[in-house]
Amino acid sequence: MIRCDVNRCVGCRMCEVNCSDSHFGAVSPALTRIRVAKIEELGIDMAVSCLSCAEKPCLGCPTDALSVGQDGQIILDAELCGACGECIDACPVGAVSGSGGSPLFCDLCGGDPACVESCPTGALVDDRDTHVSLEAFMPFTGTPGQKRAHYVTSMAQPQREAWLAGRRVDG
Amino acid sequence: MTVYQGTRLRVDLGSGKIARTTTPDKGIGARSFNSATLFNELAAGVDPLGPDNILCIAVGPLTGSSLIATCRFIASAKSPLTGYHGDSGARGFFAPELRWAGYDQIVFTGASDRWVYLRIDDDSVELRDASHLVGLDITQTTVQLREEMSDPDLQVAAIGPAGENMVRYAIISCNLSRAAGRTGMGAVMGSKKIKAIVVRGSKPVKPEDPDRFKRACAELRSRIETHPEFESRGKYGTTRIMDSLADMGVLPAYHYRSACFEHLQDVNGAALRKNHVVKEKSCYNCNIHCSRYNFTENSEGEGPEYEAQAGFSIKCGNPNLDLAVEASNAVNRLGLDCISTAEMIAWLMECRHEGVVHEKDVDGIDLSWGSREAITRLPEMIAHRQGVGDILADGARRAAPSFGPAAEELTVHVKGLELFSADPRGIKGYALMNAVNSRGGDHYRGEPMIELTGDEALAVKRVGDPDAAHRLKEKGKGALVNYAEHLGILSDSMTICKNISNCMDVVDFELAAEAYSGLFGREITAAQLWDACSQTSQIERDFNVREGLQTDEDTLPRRFLEEPIPDGPAKGTRIDVGSMVRDYYKQKGWRM
Repeated sequence: MIRCDVNRCVGCRMCEVNCSDSHFGAVSPALTRIRVAKIEELGIDMAVSCLSCAEKPCLGCPTDALSVGQDGQIILDAELCGACGECIDACPVGAVSGSGGSPLFCDLCGGDPACVESCPTGALVDDRDTHVSLEAFMPFTGTPGQKRAHYVTSMAQPQREAWLAGRRVDG
Repeated sequence: MTVYQGTRLRVDLGSGKIARTTTPDKGIGARSFNSATLFNELAAGVDPLGPDNILCIAVGPLTGSSLIATCRFIASAKSPLTGYHGDSGARGFFAPELRWAGYDQIVFTGASDRWVYLRIDDDSVELRDASHLVGLDITQTTVQLREEMSDPDLQVAAIGPAGENMVRYAIISCNLSRAAGRTGMGAVMGSKKIKAIVVRGSKPVKPEDPDRFKRACAELRSRIETHPEFESRGKYGTTRIMDSLADMGVLPAYHYRSACFEHLQDVNGAALRKNHVVKEKSCYNCNIHCSRYNFTENSEGEGPEYEAQAGFSIKCGNPNLDLAVEASNAVNRLGLDCISTAEMIAWLMECRHEGVVHEKDVDGIDLSWGSREAITRLPEMIAHRQGVGDILADGARRAAPSFGPAAEELTVHVKGLELFSADPRGIKGYALMNAVNSRGGDHYRGEPMIELTGDEALAVKRVGDPDAAHRLKEKGKGALVNYAEHLGILSDSMTICKNISNCMDVVDFELAAEAYSGLFGREITAAQLWDACSQTSQIERDFNVREGLQTDEDTLPRRFLEEPIPDGPAKGTRIDVGSMVRDYYKQKGWRM
């Protein structure tokens, strides 16, 4: 699935724009399947979308509307979906988009992800073989936005430490 | 003709009433809406810091679309610094969110008797109590609002202590450090007791003719990515200009006493990257990422841009870049315009150097060139109006008389707005832009960039005169400034970043017309856009004339007209401003 290198992400949100635009022909933060968390007071930016994690707690869907595709992507059966929002709440890193309870999962654009193509810094990688464990993030509660911020802050910890230790962009 | 009519929120702070109406019907977007609103609704002579002033915050039809870097909002009001038309734009991520919430313009009238913030969540709009935010700086305010609303993605535009205390060059900032910096819009927001505007939006921006719109977007992206400055802008952003200005001999070292700075290599863009920049940062939907995140010994933050970097180093005769970057971070938090603040400090340093202001006049603060005490303490004192800061908070024109006529003679402002960190004597188009534009001493109204690149062929293409590309010639500058001004209004209405559209010359009226036509699904021509920009330019001029503007105010500080640049590559140059102003008036069809 789409992974973001926190050391390369500059926070432009071109991935969001192109995700939204390529699926819906329109731009809105409610229509993107990838979201950039920006922790401005720490200088951190990182895009988050479905990581096809080892745990996949979203699959606890009460109406069995979700299944896993051959590339690890979560597939939604819209006819079965009751728009209860449980999958959105279940994701430990806030990677399931959607408003009004109807979820939006990264579908890898059928093979050629628009976000990866549009990323100006090469921060996004299409990696379908890795299924990271997100167990460490399970205990954190909050809104999807708060979960993304928590996850990204944690992922950026080494970056922050390097900066504090004196690493500079040309260093 | 009506190009676009958008949705407007009217917020009356006196009564607390909020209403939905429509924007003025002759607009092409943000600045064009605001300028029309101010002209139509403000009576002449109102107190800029009184309840009768109007504060407009606007975006445009292209904001938040997939067209690159359509990321700016424009804040407009009668300026408390100049007394004339005031406005300023901020980049970042606030503007697209406002557009996604479904609004093109917010018009604040009246004044609140208690501190409030405006909360917008799509169709839900309310004024909320902000008493707990009073005294917080811009970073603290933003973080606090995001925390209490459990929404790290909340977009916040706020004022800091400077805005609360109505410092006449206070800013409105979003994303902590993206400032609507010029002409004191933060002071107007403070006068109305609005601490912040917070917004969440989810409505889509959808082009009516998607193929045509996509072609315009792809064309712009391609023009940017094939531009010779693409790489260096990504790496250095505006800080790249310092070395170029040094080569041209137009650095403002020691408050314009020298065009050469002996410590250039210690404070330039390369030094900044080597010692302070930890990563590159971007605005909404931009492929250049020309901003940066910095660490100094005592602080961190986004920036600096060239103006803060040069203003707090070269202009103040300060060889210590760490100190300059720390000052940039501080003014961003306090909510002060870095250009005006740096100019105030550098001016005082020159006054002290000339022996016309002494430490005892400024609460004992050391005013020697590069003084750490002056560069760190004065912004704090100005923002809180403490001691001499209370006088300095009113800007150069109002503060100077307190220090005597000799100090007044050394101020560098036009119509009350302090100048940028370059010497206009060696860049005549910029000189003219500073002399005549509707917001006073300002280079960014529309950058006459052609004279910096010296591209004669482009000068002929844009304004039909190769001399327009010669920065030391007065000839051709009327047409050049008129063109750059139109392009500035176009950018301020499309809400596209002017560093891209103007400075890289990648947006022209034809491409803009394609974007508008694709968005609306009907034909908008380049000529229509040009006319709309002419109209906005005229409205702003009429506003200023109504406020009492005299043609003899279309000039520059005396030193630039009478004293030649003392050293460096542009040595001996001064400005014949009269001939350029006449040329410009001819372009506009105005009488002297």
